[in-house]
Amino acid sequence: MKKLVLVFILIIFSIPILGGCWNQRELTDLALVLAVGIDKGEGDKKYDVTFQVVVPGNVASGQNGGGGQGPPVVVYESSGDSITEASRKATKKIPRRLYYAHTSIVVIGEELAREGIYNILDPMDRDPEFRTTTVVIIAKDKRAEDIISILTNLDKLPMNRFIKTLESAEAMLGENIKLNIDDLIGAITSPGKEPVISGFVLEGSPEKGTSPQNISTTRPPAMVSVDGLGVIRGGKLVGWLNNFHVRGAVWLLNKMKGTEIKFDFEGKKDAVTTTPYLSDTDVSVTFKNGKPFANVDIDTAFKLSEMDTDFDIEDPHKIEELEKKTSDVIKKEVEAAIKEAQKYKADIFGFGERIHKSNPKRWKELKDDWDNQFAKMDYKIQVHSYYRESGVRGKPFWSDMNK
Amino acid sequence: METAKISGKQLFVLVVLFEMGTALLEGFPVQLKQDAWIAILAGMAGGVLLFLVYYRLFLYYPDLPLTGYVEKIIGKWPGRVIGFIYIIYFAYLAARGLRDFGELLTATIYTNTPIFFLMSILILTITYAIQKGFEVLARVGEIFFAAVYMMAVIGFFLIIFSGLIHLENLKPVLESGWRQIMEVSIRQTMPFPFGEMILFTMILPHLNDQKKAKMICISGIVLSGINITIACIINIATLGTDLFLRSQYPLLSTVSKIQLFNFIERLDVLFMIYVMVAGFIKVAIFYYAAVAGTTGLFKFKNHRQVTFPMGILILVTAMMIASNFAEHIKEGLYIIPVYMHWPLQIYFPCLLLGIAMIRNRKKQKKAPAA
Repeated sequence: MKKLVLVFILIIFSIPILGGCWNQRELTDLALVLAVGIDKGEGDKKYDVTFQVVVPGNVASGQNGGGGQGPPVVVYESSGDSITEASRKATKKIPRRLYYAHTSIVVIGEELAREGIYNILDPMDRDPEFRTTTVVIIAKDKRAEDIISILTNLDKLPMNRFIKTLESAEAMLGENIKLNIDDLIGAITSPGKEPVISGFVLEGSPEKGTSPQNISTTRPPAMVSVDGLGVIRGGKLVGWLNNFHVRGAVWLLNKMKGTEIKFDFEGKKDAVTTTPYLSDTDVSVTFKNGKPFANVDIDTAFKLSEMDTDFDIEDPHKIEELEKKTSDVIKKEVEAAIKEAQKYKADIFGFGERIHKSNPKRWKELKDDWDNQFAKMDYKIQVHSYYRESGVRGKPFWSDMNK
Repeated sequence: METAKISGKQLFVLVVLFEMGTALLEGFPVQLKQDAWIAILAGMAGGVLLFLVYYRLFLYYPDLPLTGYVEKIIGKWPGRVIGFIYIIYFAYLAARGLRDFGELLTATIYTNTPIFFLMSILILTITYAIQKGFEVLARVGEIFFAAVYMMAVIGFFLIIFSGLIHLENLKPVLESGWRQIMEVSIRQTMPFPFGEMILFTMILPHLNDQKKAKMICISGIVLSGINITIACIINIATLGTDLFLRSQYPLLSTVSKIQLFNFIERLDVLFMIYVMVAGFIKVAIFYYAAVAGTTGLFKFKNHRQVTFPMGILILVTAMMIASNFAEHIKEGLYIIPVYMHWPLQIYFPCLLLGIAMIRNRKKQKKAPAA
């Protein structure tokens, strides 16, 4: 009997402990931050920070029509001399506690990126609530708040839309790179490597993009799209790689998952388009006459996707020519990318890191002057491309009509 | 001295769990960057050598714990003083383990909970286990061992299939040079965790088949050493040297990077379960050693009389040893090895072994004459 009473008392006492309610946060008390935008302060504070917070009632969807009226997200703005200050000050306007565990994207305004991004990364790196898989992008020519405030179609939550656009463009076009905070900091801290950050541009009017009108028409007045790679040197944005420069960089970084390549064939301009779909890039840095020298070796398999001139696709000689032309275009793009990076003196390809790994002794001598060494560096590019197939047709349908 | 008996399997499990313990969480010599794993292996080799010293001592007095045979070797009163120092050492290490546990939890998930509260819950649980006797502790160890291994295997495959391993991060090998690696392994990885095997001198008398002690303990040390090395290599390969260097808990950063099919992600919970297991075993074994030592030295009838006061003592010590995390770590890296680990893990046992050898030789010489 005495034992029973004791056990009972023990159970009663363990209830408050085992409940795990010490610092419980109810879901209804949290404001889930999906995206954070950071800009240079327009007022007297150093940073303007915008928070895209989900409005749960308006996102829910289901068979019953679901979803309330109004936009799925709301954007709050705050400013401060540090990111933490801005985040805490924002609670003056937000009725809930800001919760960062679901933040998937951080947008940095171009103006701020040009001044330096060191200071703003630390709080995100340090906070255990903030996941380091969060993706970083730069708002090209615009302020981050403009990008953050846009409503989007297809995906209700703008943040999802950005991430998916990044992913699909990376897989299909290869003109951007999805970079998370961890990789960014890793690249910044490595002496032989500089990071590149994908840029987002806003087409159309930022004001109209924030209204429901933007998702109720088939041709939204404001659209956000992926464009260019920002080159970072010493923690500052120094310039942009555009179009084929980006593609060259993506090839070099061995991140190419798919793209399109067009070239002249048999005297006709842009007559053939091929689509590489498998690729492997091997970069090694050796020394030639005591100077660093990069060997780039790219292997890729491609399909024929479009032809605007008639030739015999089963002829091995033609196929050889196809392979050669595809290789030439890739080689030109890679070359252009290296030249562009050398212009910025930013080793975004990690050549220095490779020297560090293969030849630590030489790296010690080169380390301090690496930016200049990189700018003068010589290189050799070899591309081998392999033709795989031409879809489900051989000759184009009009090949006999013309005769 | 309690009359508990444990099997060889249980001892093996305890050795492995104890050695991996908190070392998997924060025992990596991160200042060596990509060469950290070499220092761990070197530390393990040193640990095995040290264990051979402890083992020889054990062979001379197979029925007594360390605090018991010290008296036999260097005389009653000096032996008691040394025994007392060892008890304090074990209690102190228990307190450090407890503090590690508390600091980790407050830094990561229980960000607003007072550290005292977390630590008292753990120490209460352990006190209960020790009240129940050492055999209970050994059985708990068996259950934990299975759980830890299952999690480790799952985690290992998830990390590999997430494509996170970049072995090129391990290059260039030996950038820090042998000299520095050796220095670090003697200062850091040999005393913690491998030299802490000194504690098993308190536990070996409980083993039912004492002939196997050597094989069991050495294979336990080697297995745990290999596990820590693998964990270290995975951490470096996943995080890269920079993040490895800056992470307070590299393994946590590694585990939280797992992302598979946009579905299996945020697996920090695996890590947290391991923290509980490691914290429990590490503190419990140190705590038990301190309790057993006190019971023997002050001739208490039963170890249960000492358990509770010792628990309070450990808890209070854990609160007081450092005013913040930085201080706690600094002590652990620079002060404890030189002033506590080295004398008590290396100098004293070697000295004791020397004296014991001379004494026993005398005995052996006398024996045929008599």
